[in-house]
Amino acid sequence: MKRILRQTSILAGVSALLVAPLFAASDAAAPAPAAVETANAGPNDADLMNDEKTPDDVLTYGMGPRAQRFSTLNQINTDTVAKLVPAFSASLGGEKQRGQESQPLVYDGTIYVTGSYSRLFAFDAKTGEEKWQYDARLPDAIVPCCDVVNRGAAIYGDKIIFGTLDARLVALNRHTGKVIWNKPIADYKAGYSFTAAPMIVHGKVIVGNSGGEFGVVGEVQARDVNTGELVWSRPTIEGNMGMLNGKENGITGKTNATWAGDQYKTGGGATWLGGTYDPDTNLIYMGTGNPAPWNSHLRPGDNLYTASTLALDPDTGVIKWHYQTTPHDGWDFDGVNELIPFDAMRNGKMMKLGAKADRNGYFFILDRTNGKFLQATPFVSKTTWATGFNKAGRPIYVDANRPGPPTTEKGSTVFAAPAFLGAKNWMPMSYSQQTGMFYVPSNEWGMDIWNEPIAYKKGAAYLGAGFTIKPLYEDHIGVLRAIDPATGKIAWEYKNKAPLWGGVLSTAGNLVFTGTPEGYLKAFDAKSGKELWKFNTGSGVVGSPITWEADGEQYVAVMSGWGGAVPLWGGEVAKAVQHINQGGSLWVFKLPK
Amino acid sequence: MTGGFTRRAVLAGLGAAAALPALPARAMSLEKIHAAGVLRVAVYRDFEPWAWYEGATLRGIDVDLGTAIAKKLGVRVEFRDFLAGEDVDEDLRNIVWKGPATGGTLSDIMMHVPYDRTFALRNDRAVIVAPYYREGFALGCGRDAGDCEAPPVQFKGRRIAVELDSIPDFYMSGSFGGALRSDVTHMTSGMAALDAVRDGKSDVAMATRAQVEHALAKGGDTLIARKGPLPALTSPGWDIGLAVKDDSRDLGDRLDTLIPELVADKTVGAIFQQYGVTFRPPLAS
Repeated sequence: MKRILRQTSILAGVSALLVAPLFAASDAAAPAPAAVETANAGPNDADLMNDEKTPDDVLTYGMGPRAQRFSTLNQINTDTVAKLVPAFSASLGGEKQRGQESQPLVYDGTIYVTGSYSRLFAFDAKTGEEKWQYDARLPDAIVPCCDVVNRGAAIYGDKIIFGTLDARLVALNRHTGKVIWNKPIADYKAGYSFTAAPMIVHGKVIVGNSGGEFGVVGEVQARDVNTGELVWSRPTIEGNMGMLNGKENGITGKTNATWAGDQYKTGGGATWLGGTYDPDTNLIYMGTGNPAPWNSHLRPGDNLYTASTLALDPDTGVIKWHYQTTPHDGWDFDGVNELIPFDAMRNGKMMKLGAKADRNGYFFILDRTNGKFLQATPFVSKTTWATGFNKAGRPIYVDANRPGPPTTEKGSTVFAAPAFLGAKNWMPMSYSQQTGMFYVPSNEWGMDIWNEPIAYKKGAAYLGAGFTIKPLYEDHIGVLRAIDPATGKIAWEYKNKAPLWGGVLSTAGNLVFTGTPEGYLKAFDAKSGKELWKFNTGSGVVGSPITWEADGEQYVAVMSGWGGAVPLWGGEVAKAVQHINQGGSLWVFKLPK
Repeated sequence: MTGGFTRRAVLAGLGAAAALPALPARAMSLEKIHAAGVLRVAVYRDFEPWAWYEGATLRGIDVDLGTAIAKKLGVRVEFRDFLAGEDVDEDLRNIVWKGPATGGTLSDIMMHVPYDRTFALRNDRAVIVAPYYREGFALGCGRDAGDCEAPPVQFKGRRIAVELDSIPDFYMSGSFGGALRSDVTHMTSGMAALDAVRDGKSDVAMATRAQVEHALAKGGDTLIARKGPLPALTSPGWDIGLAVKDDSRDLGDRLDTLIPELVADKTVGAIFQQYGVTFRPPLAS
């Protein structure tokens, strides 16, 4: 055993040497001829905004700025999907097999996909042959707070842009994989990291922040897509100053309205999952994380704008409205989840709406023009912390379910559901323009929380919290649910033994696709929920599937590679996932000719 | 499993279960340390007076003690300073026995690890040995900033500085019905809180006893220490020791004899004295 371990660590060392060059291009092809370059300047702002309507490419994270993850393609449909077979698979290689949460992009015959450990790959979209690979040179001894995953890239002109674990934003030439610009967006030494997919709006790269030493304040940044220079920044916590073109641009909210003393300077609200954009309202919708410190008794008040959705002006970063899904959070109900813009009839009139499935277990419908609360319904079977939401959009708390103040007594244990990993975590849902339904990947778990008096932090005594995460049911944790946004009613559900941790795709073929930790990519009838097809990719699927069309054939792609935050949890959750093997591959499917 | 149940704690735990093929290089036992000629010692970052950078120089009690240990073992010392995680359990995992999910090298010894039986049982992949100090919390006040011996609830209206998310923070922000909450300024470290009082920017700072004594020793005569106890402060103090990986018990055993030797030959006392801190033997010794 010892010898095997030794060998493994030697191999690890070798691999570290191999990735040391800025890019380990297997085929650093010469740039395309100039004539072709002119004809193909690459996607511009209008192309990105139009991504939903161009099924021959996938230019944005979410398959459109609204991130509905819906495709109008229907060659693969409820009748044909059973025949779906792999077209090719491409390995990311190396020893870095952990946690492939990425969504691929497809453009100009190339699939661009990020890998864990800050890698980006370009594969031929027909054959899977690698065109180039970029491995970020990560500093020694970084301890990224937020796993080693990456959720995807953004494309613009000749550039492909992604974030790295050492909190940098890197723009590569999409033909060669060579660096165009490379900017730090935060200090990795203070624990900052970057795992979300960037979004490009009006020629600006929009990013959030993740990680950071305790006491971080969430922030949204807009950077010039051509240079990486900062255009505006907007803190998410009231009392902190926003910036525009190097000048102060007003504080967020009203200082000390919902925070005591100087707590707003360290209030949390990280924007680690990025956002969505709606061309109709010209608003960026950004979710914010939970407040700090975690114990709610130390920070009375609503703690704005933590656990909220913010609507921001994409040109100035000014906040146009906010809605807080969990005021005065005490359970780690991070509010980072995506708000998906959609239009639907409501009370007899067509409305511009937004939907968000929150960590706290509620599915929210808002008027996305002004943030007005319209509806909140539970999308998991148990929410112990609140009995519902009142008409004003505030939760009706169950006070006894709020974990107590930090004490030296172990005290009583509170059982709260959902667990802190959320009724829905990072994994994006989908809205089908065909069925008018949302397809939400959810998990059925709760947690025991108690005060842990024997705790230490930075070498000093501390009053901590102990917790154990517990599945609610013996036979399943994950549930894919179809939700009618008009009523919040659940139309169908698919239960999965392991927690669901991957994104969802819906298509005009009346299909819903999602992956499972057991390794399957699965297809369901979007109306009935009947499972119509599955394929085992050899490792857990925690990425987001996409579909596109080339030369009259429809393709479906997904990343395979188990990882993310689930595997560490002990007890019953571990039992559901402990035999899942690591991996790191792109899988592409199509119908046989 | 203990810790704040924030996302950061969740992710910090990743190292625990990651079936990462690229295992970090394993810490060496005593024999291998001698063969390599170097002892890798980990200290907390920005942790005055225990370990901090003064310009380009890493100094502090833990740094000097680590150097003295290496000297006693007859090897060179190599330090790394690391960002504190959400709790010490996480630090032990990243520094001593597992390494972070990104890989990296483990340290042979981690300084400044609480020596506590319950805590040690919970972290059984590390071995916590050789307690070398008894720590506790204390109060420093500006010399002209009001009565330092008053019941803390009477500090209302004075500027109170504490390290963010620490027991001093909980004590000042949470005790007395939260009466002092709006008077509290949050700092990145206990030392920064005391420096604010020395500089006249705050009136009262609560930090560890070592930090208060070190701040007094920095001179300027603007600071005084509270003599009386802090009412309703429930922490009785704690012992500080060293941690090694569970497969390095021979190193742990050597440290258990080595530290008392360094105490006996006055090395430890001299190190503490250099930073203005009174050497307080651990209760466990």
